[in-house]
Amino acid sequence: MNHSRHHNASAKIGDKLLSVTDVVRTIAYHKILRGVSFDLMRGDALAVVGPNGAGKTTLLRVLTGLSRPTRGTVESLGSQGFVGHASMLYDALSARENLTFFARLQGVATNGAVDRVLEMVGLADRQNDRVGTFSRGMIQRISIARSLLGEPDVLFLDEPLSGLDDRSCRSVLDILKSLRDRGHAILFVTHNFSAVAALATRVAYLVGGKMVLIEDVAGRSAELVSERYREVVEHV
Amino acid sequence: MSSVLGPALTIAAKDISIELRTRTAFLSALVFAILVLAILFFARDPTAVSANDVAPGALWVTFTFAAMIGLNRAFLLEKENAAIDALILTGVPKTAIFIGKALGNLAFVFMVELVSLPLFVLFYNLDILAQLPSLILVIVMATVAFVSVGTLLSSMVVRTRFAELMLPLLLLPFLVPPIVSAVQATSRILAGRPLSEVSGWLNLLGGFDIAFVTLSILLFEATLAE
Repeated sequence: MNHSRHHNASAKIGDKLLSVTDVVRTIAYHKILRGVSFDLMRGDALAVVGPNGAGKTTLLRVLTGLSRPTRGTVESLGSQGFVGHASMLYDALSARENLTFFARLQGVATNGAVDRVLEMVGLADRQNDRVGTFSRGMIQRISIARSLLGEPDVLFLDEPLSGLDDRSCRSVLDILKSLRDRGHAILFVTHNFSAVAALATRVAYLVGGKMVLIEDVAGRSAELVSERYREVVEHV
Repeated sequence: MSSVLGPALTIAAKDISIELRTRTAFLSALVFAILVLAILFFARDPTAVSANDVAPGALWVTFTFAAMIGLNRAFLLEKENAAIDALILTGVPKTAIFIGKALGNLAFVFMVELVSLPLFVLFYNLDILAQLPSLILVIVMATVAFVSVGTLLSSMVVRTRFAELMLPLLLLPFLVPPIVSAVQATSRILAGRPLSEVSGWLNLLGGFDIAFVTLSILLFEATLAE
């Protein structure tokens, strides 16, 4: 097992930011991930799709370091941010208090960083409201803001559009597209083919813990993505 | 050291700020403390049993069970919305997370004790002004012991289905040694005996503090592992 992190500030567009080699994750004698390998480059937006129980969330936890691979290596060459399925925020604190708390722990310049990410997700006007009073869409945007505090090179997201209405979906997708276009690498797990079509440059099919195929997806419509998903998953 | 102490204080300040804002655990613990003190007071026959004989036990039963309410909540706060994952991902040392949570818990328990102690004095009509420094020393030493092990166990049980039931079950056996020492020391202090007479119990409490804090810090990282 190896999970190394080397932060390379001089990385350029197209540079490799993450290298995953033959990762196996076993939980209670059950192999959740079975030899997953891929690279992630700067400017990449890799969508990981697959049926429920395929190991997508486990893969994200291994990539972020929240879980250790049983075998294999995850080599991170840039800083990382993670937006989980849950908000990872404190409902009793305001948006600003949450962000200030995590900024302090990350050792980033507190006020500047908090103002920057609040502007980025368009919630500066609600910064003093408690997160517990926010809609699901606003919580997701603040979660993204939290993950961006350390200006990560790679952003991992677990079902970023889950439970969001159309307007919130568009808002979150716009934020993520602007990050991708600015050279951040994005890896997101999703069941939403419209999100794959709108955001992804590549799509990885994870079935039964194996990454059976990774292919370019840029320019494909949601219908084509969905059709291709059925083709790939049904033939495994 | 500042890489541990700075984040630890930030985490403790966050916990205190949330508790001051919601006051759910504090009010529950306080109501519980008042109820226990009242029940134990009215259960005593003042013509047969003197206040000094019952008071130390009543004090520590009140403190211990009231504290458990706060200890239970400590990691539930982090489990809600999976905030513990965000804490881990900030890269702060795990020791800092433990110390921060333990300091937050200490502040909570001290707040409960601060309010309960005058009520205890009132209920049992005790004149403790002269013994107050010694009593505070015992309270602080015993509280540090059970809060440190309570914080560790709270982080262990928070992922279980019956966390609120599991914590007292696991914690009580660890509490017996420091609480027995605290009750013994308190009864002698309330009887007006000199501090030198309780030094043995204080040394024992000091030993529990060192052992429990050290072991809790060493074992805490394992409780966060998947």
